[in-house]
Amino acid sequence: MENFELPPKPKNSVWKRIRNIGIAIVVIAIYVWTFVSIDIEWGRAMERAANNFQRVIPQLFSPDWSATGKVALSMLETVFIAFAGSLMAAIIAVPLAFLAARNMMGGVVVSTIGKWILSAVRAFPDVILAILFVVAVGPNAFAGVLAIAIGSTGMLGKMFSEIIEGIDMNVIEAMQASGANRIQILFYGVMPQIIPEFLSYAIYRFEVDVRASSILGIVGAGGIGTLIIFASNNRNWSEMGMILLAIIIVVTVIDFASARIRRKIV
Amino acid sequence: MIQFKDVGLVYPNGTVGLKNVNLTINDGEFVVIVGLSGAGKSTLIRSINRLVTPTSGELYVDNEDILKYRGKDLRKLRTKTGMIFQNYNLVKRSSVLKNVLAGRLGHTGTLRSIFNAYKKEDVALAYESLKRVNIADKIYNRADELSGGQQQRVSIARVLTQQPKYILADEPVASLDPPTSHQVMKYLKKINKEDNLTTIVNLHFIDMAMEYADRIVGMRAGEIVFDGPVSEVTEKTFEEIYGRSIREEDFRGGSEES
Repeated sequence: MENFELPPKPKNSVWKRIRNIGIAIVVIAIYVWTFVSIDIEWGRAMERAANNFQRVIPQLFSPDWSATGKVALSMLETVFIAFAGSLMAAIIAVPLAFLAARNMMGGVVVSTIGKWILSAVRAFPDVILAILFVVAVGPNAFAGVLAIAIGSTGMLGKMFSEIIEGIDMNVIEAMQASGANRIQILFYGVMPQIIPEFLSYAIYRFEVDVRASSILGIVGAGGIGTLIIFASNNRNWSEMGMILLAIIIVVTVIDFASARIRRKIV
Repeated sequence: MIQFKDVGLVYPNGTVGLKNVNLTINDGEFVVIVGLSGAGKSTLIRSINRLVTPTSGELYVDNEDILKYRGKDLRKLRTKTGMIFQNYNLVKRSSVLKNVLAGRLGHTGTLRSIFNAYKKEDVALAYESLKRVNIADKIYNRADELSGGQQQRVSIARVLTQQPKYILADEPVASLDPPTSHQVMKYLKKINKEDNLTTIVNLHFIDMAMEYADRIVGMRAGEIVFDGPVSEVTEKTFEEIYGRSIREEDFRGGSEES
């Protein structure tokens, strides 16, 4: 091989080096401080973990096959909750996204209001929403659907509005120049550019929502979370193993399918 | 007929786009507007279909002052003025046919267009237009599967389908290689002759302007500094328009066959 020499690396200045060391010290100090102040009794925690591990782990790995029917049914409910919720969100998010996109309704004021609405919606964690809806509509799957729908609307709306802001406006100009009206431009210039991306994000959100809705049952909003909380209260670890197995399989399959579909669309 | 009467345009940021422009373009002419980038060629052409709005003077298209047009009047004006862009501006994910039919939107009712229910004659017209620019075999391809030259031909077909009275072409060959550039200019010239469509083209290549124009209008800093038939134009004229000596990059070179 030919002999060659790279030009010398630029040397960090002394000030820069001092700054880096300073940052390192501060970060380490924060770590030490947090670990000291959360006050864990390491000895007891370890001992307990070791005892429980021996009892719990083997049972988790011998799932209770007799619960298959029950688990499958409630896994299905979870997927349905996720599907209904993300579908609802995908529909509600579209008008909000058009409102929030700077290049559509015209006017920075409208778009800023739209962006505020979306941030406000995004601020609520799914579980908090689920607790609120359980109170509002009772402890059933519908509460889960609403929680997922509202929880996803914020994120999807933001994504959608960014997609709209990223379209090729030259195409829109070309259509304006040919005398098309606003609705025609929406159907011919805007929609072909955004629909594939919208679908892709909606499917991705469904994937996320399947995981999110597995948890919602813990606060009583339907789906497989309900079984998790029962199994854990009853110390029924082999049923818990079955539930985890179901979640892992379903999530993996949906991840895989969603990735393939999305690659096809865009 | 298009008449500029003392037209001026100042952009909101203070940039002067047009200054005291007086210009009459007669029906059927093939006018090439030349000038360096920033000279106001684009602004001039975009004033005619009101993609930009001049801030002073009067601008007549078919003897009507278009500067006060809004909404419906404006859309009607725009159906009369077809535009061709440097970057083709096709909807990349849509088929060639759908892109060409989009030229018909100004003549089509909103409901009809939403449901894709074009009149038979419109579809026939779209196909005919594609045949005229020799690209009918790509009718069902997606626009982004086509080369630059092919896309520009599709955009010419779109304008033909619009059946305008005027064609405005804003640097139509700036993104193309020399042979394709000549091909596109030849189609524009052919359409100008066959359909007697008034055509206004922005170019900055001297040789292409000389080869295809009937009349050349030179612009510098928003003003018209030359206006005359191509027979009166020499390299000296271009030096005056550009305000500097001619360089090699001012020529496109090549020909369709090469």
